[in-house]
Amino acid sequence: MRLIWDELGKALPMIFHGNPQLLDVIWFTVQVAVVATAAATLIGLPIGLALALGRFRGRNLLRALANASLALPPVLVGVFLFILFSPAAPLGFLHLIWTRRVVFIAQTILALPFVVALSAAAIQALAPGLLAQARLLGAGRLQVSMLALREARIGVIAALIAALGTSLAEVAAVALLGGNIYGYDQTLASATLYEVGGGYYADAVAIGIVLIVLILILMCGLGVLQQQGNGIRMRFRSAA
Amino acid sequence: MHYLWEQMRGAIPLIAHGDPYIVGLLWVTIRVAVVSTAAALLIGLPLGLALGLGRFRGRRALQILANASLALPPVVVGIAVLLLLLPHGALGSLQIEFSLNAVYIAQTILALPYVVALTPAAIQGLPPGLLVQARALGAGRLQLSGLALREAKIGMIAAVIAALGATISEVGAVVIVGGNFQGHDETLASALLEQFNYTAHEPYATAIALVLLALILVLAGLLTVLQQRTQGIQLRFRAA
Repeated sequence: MRLIWDELGKALPMIFHGNPQLLDVIWFTVQVAVVATAAATLIGLPIGLALALGRFRGRNLLRALANASLALPPVLVGVFLFILFSPAAPLGFLHLIWTRRVVFIAQTILALPFVVALSAAAIQALAPGLLAQARLLGAGRLQVSMLALREARIGVIAALIAALGTSLAEVAAVALLGGNIYGYDQTLASATLYEVGGGYYADAVAIGIVLIVLILILMCGLGVLQQQGNGIRMRFRSAA
Repeated sequence: MHYLWEQMRGAIPLIAHGDPYIVGLLWVTIRVAVVSTAAALLIGLPLGLALGLGRFRGRRALQILANASLALPPVVVGIAVLLLLLPHGALGSLQIEFSLNAVYIAQTILALPYVVALTPAAIQGLPPGLLVQARALGAGRLQLSGLALREAKIGMIAAVIAALGATISEVGAVVIVGGNFQGHDETLASALLEQFNYTAHEPYATAIALVLLALILVLAGLLTVLQQRTQGIQLRFRAA
């Protein structure tokens, strides 16, 4: 046990004295999580609405695909983007590899399945008559969508929390695409990997503590929602 | 597109001819997934059954805790396990730091929440009268557990698949605890992190990605088939 106490003894002062390196990493992580979730919401919510409300052919197949996309390993998404963005590749001219921008892009793509699949699931779980009645009373597409979002808001917020949690804890895509460069594009999770690799266990412990505190805050939010939304159960894909 | 084609052309022969490095990675990955999922079942099934069937005070709180544990960031689990296993740590006498055994331990801990949290979810999804009736007819604890597991088997299989998927695609804890030693305790996913960090254009990296993708597709396919049958159970991997 001595080792753990030793490392904790060195880690806690770093947190309480606001070690500037640590503060930078926290700030970048929060930025990535918030921006990626917001972008994923902008792109994903209309798709989720279409999947849940639309009445078109192939809808079931698309829903199954959306669910399956939650199972994509982030490291594979990272590899795919790396191949796409590497200098000789079709999108190589964008010069994205090993930059901060690519971290935002990767996390947005990884957050997208959560927004699409979970918001669609939340809307589909609404009382079956509700939306049919609204349609019957002459509600247009936009009105039905707004009604569905308002009624399923707890599930939709839970989906956003899940997306936030993923972007906070994900490691593989961030490290692979961003290059895990110290003082530049590290998130809390990828910085942990980096510090352990260098044998700086106290730093890794400090970062790990901050990460788990952030996750706990999110989980509390989710817990409160669950009490309200009875039966909605969600979880994060945490990442690597 | 030419570039992507080049990548494929280098990778396919490696897979087709069963390159020993890639076969080795596949073997380690499958072993890690199967061993840690089996261990998680052994430890987690009694806990999950107690949460699903037990009638004791604090059960709801424990269940929320179990659900929350699905959000544990793998890097945090990794650093905690590593600190226990390092020479001066509490379990340092085992001398298994940076080895496959350490990877088994970390992955078992990460697979455990799937078994513990999803078992009660599957059992609670059973028709409410079923277990009450069995109790009224005098079924003992063991008989009741057997009945619940048999009736909730689709949900249970889905939980096992989710645990397998998580252990296959997880990267953070594997790298931290195992040290990612080539040909020793590298998995497909953790090898990808290494390959793309240092030698971006190796055909090996693309080949490994293809094998991992195939493995995940098989699991996701199984999960989708199950989901179609059980309407409403929604599972996903924590990929890492």
